[in-house]
Amino acid sequence: MAGMTLTEKIMARASRRDHVAPGQLLWADIHTVMTMDYLGKSTFEAFAALGVPEVFRRDRVICVSDHLVPPPTAHFATMLNEWRVLVKQHRIEHFYDLGRQGIAHQVMVENGHVLPGTISIGTDSHANTYGAVGAMGNAVGVTDAAVAMAIGKCWFRVPETVRFHIRGAWPSWVMAKDLSLHVMGMMHWNGHLIYKTIEYTGPAIDNLGMAGRMTLCNMTVDLGAKNGIIAPDAVTADYLATRTTDAWSALVGDTDAAYDQEYEVDVSTIAPTVARPDKLDDIASVDAVAGTPFNKAFIGTCTNGRLEDLAIVASILQGQQVHRDVNLLVVPASSRVYLDAVRAGYIATIVEAGGAVDTPSCAACAGVHTGVAGDGDVVLSAGNRNMKGRMGSRNAQIWLSSPAVVAYSALKGVISDPRELPASQWIDQGPPAHV
Amino acid sequence: MSKTVLRGKAWVAAGYVMAYEIIKQEFWTSRIDAAENARWVMAGVAPEFDADGAFASHGYRFIVGGHNFAGGGKSIEHVITGIMGAGIQAVIADSFARLQFRNAINYGLPFITCRDLRAHVQTGDELEVHLDTGLIRNLTRGAEAQAAPVPSFVQEVADAGGMIPFIRRHIANGTVDTLR
Repeated sequence: MAGMTLTEKIMARASRRDHVAPGQLLWADIHTVMTMDYLGKSTFEAFAALGVPEVFRRDRVICVSDHLVPPPTAHFATMLNEWRVLVKQHRIEHFYDLGRQGIAHQVMVENGHVLPGTISIGTDSHANTYGAVGAMGNAVGVTDAAVAMAIGKCWFRVPETVRFHIRGAWPSWVMAKDLSLHVMGMMHWNGHLIYKTIEYTGPAIDNLGMAGRMTLCNMTVDLGAKNGIIAPDAVTADYLATRTTDAWSALVGDTDAAYDQEYEVDVSTIAPTVARPDKLDDIASVDAVAGTPFNKAFIGTCTNGRLEDLAIVASILQGQQVHRDVNLLVVPASSRVYLDAVRAGYIATIVEAGGAVDTPSCAACAGVHTGVAGDGDVVLSAGNRNMKGRMGSRNAQIWLSSPAVVAYSALKGVISDPRELPASQWIDQGPPAHV
Repeated sequence: MSKTVLRGKAWVAAGYVMAYEIIKQEFWTSRIDAAENARWVMAGVAPEFDADGAFASHGYRFIVGGHNFAGGGKSIEHVITGIMGAGIQAVIADSFARLQFRNAINYGLPFITCRDLRAHVQTGDELEVHLDTGLIRNLTRGAEAQAAPVPSFVQEVADAGGMIPFIRRHIANGTVDTLR
């Protein structure tokens, strides 16, 4: 019998089996269930239909305000009020409401609600982010979330695993986002990754800090994958040390595990990369599109709104002024990130440079509020999706790139290559020095 | 499944159909309700469907799609309830986006994988779909195709009337632990 990959090991343990194989349908134990404002009320309504009075564990159902805070309309404000009643009624222990909010996936990982070797689900597609700490993170609909809230289980089809082995040294100004977009272009949405697990391995991953790992796993859903995962290591242990007191034990894939496909990428050959409007896989090296005008710059989201991202942004904006033809909007991924960025002086730097900063939320990435795009807008975004209408108007264009490219381009007023900046302004994306 | 042979008229998607187009953004926060969601289902897919009740008025019973049907990374269940509310009995496509594949199973709407069926079907053709064997017959053109049969777990959920009643029954019977 062939060995198992990391994700297969997790699914075997969670379904109390010795072995699982791709294609198998099974029920697995769920560590945490996340549901956020957008679908929170619907999830509790589906839960009510199951006929159990209490959630399976009040400390393992995590409720977060992110898509609709602060509420943009009376309709949403009312919906959130109705949801808050349900959250309180079920005595949910971890409720990250406005004031303590953040984008759900950031909140889940940074507060230790996701543990290596376990499965956590959420009612938002970017739950794949949880793979950064060696967990299986999976997006589900409200029915699945409601079932898991009731019985602590969810059904899954065991995915085939595709390995991306990343080697080489990270060049200055190349971020995890650039690798994600590079892989997007490499696979050309050809269907080879649909329903698969993407496992990132290799020395360039070992040398990547948790922020970058979260970006990589986050965007695996945009590649069409079921989940993305990085095996836990010393970086993971260091990250979790201050965030959870729960015990966890790492699982590792077998050396003779069967991969569905294997690819190798030398990260030293990658340039800062952008996705052109409308299609995620329509990528270009930033120098190939340099000079392209745009009028809105957006930095934030569950993909690139972390402290490390804001550190690079501040380093680029320090002492400079955002171009007069560009509106720069920065939205930290969580209140914790926001406070850390305030204390580090990044927020002051951004505001001094003529950038706007808003309270943590999904903001314009969800197309609902806080900087939505209108007709004729050309947005350069550090977010994750660029299809027509994603950020508001279908008559707006969305370019995607790393936060470094967005920040430098915001100064220039046209898409620009941050490699023009002095190397001294670059901040290495590796793990903290003590790890 | 209570009904293993389905018959009816097919609508064939011209290209890639995204969840965003099946249910437009303005309806994402509406109530999950088959009749309500069916009113504007497919409104973003083609201009002819962008009117109240437009898609449902055609009386289609099957959707024949291409690659990554209902993709784009949205988990909203309105996509499935809207399609079902419009009278669709099964969706047959080259491949499906996983979020909506899950939702379809949870609501008991068969999502059937069959490569290149679009080459053999045109909008308005009468199809016969055998859920237990995966056989698909085009009654209008006399062609046949073989799809993957629907797994028994999927049929059990569909027979129960969807995932919520399926689990409610397990909870009531005290048999949750048998789910593994």
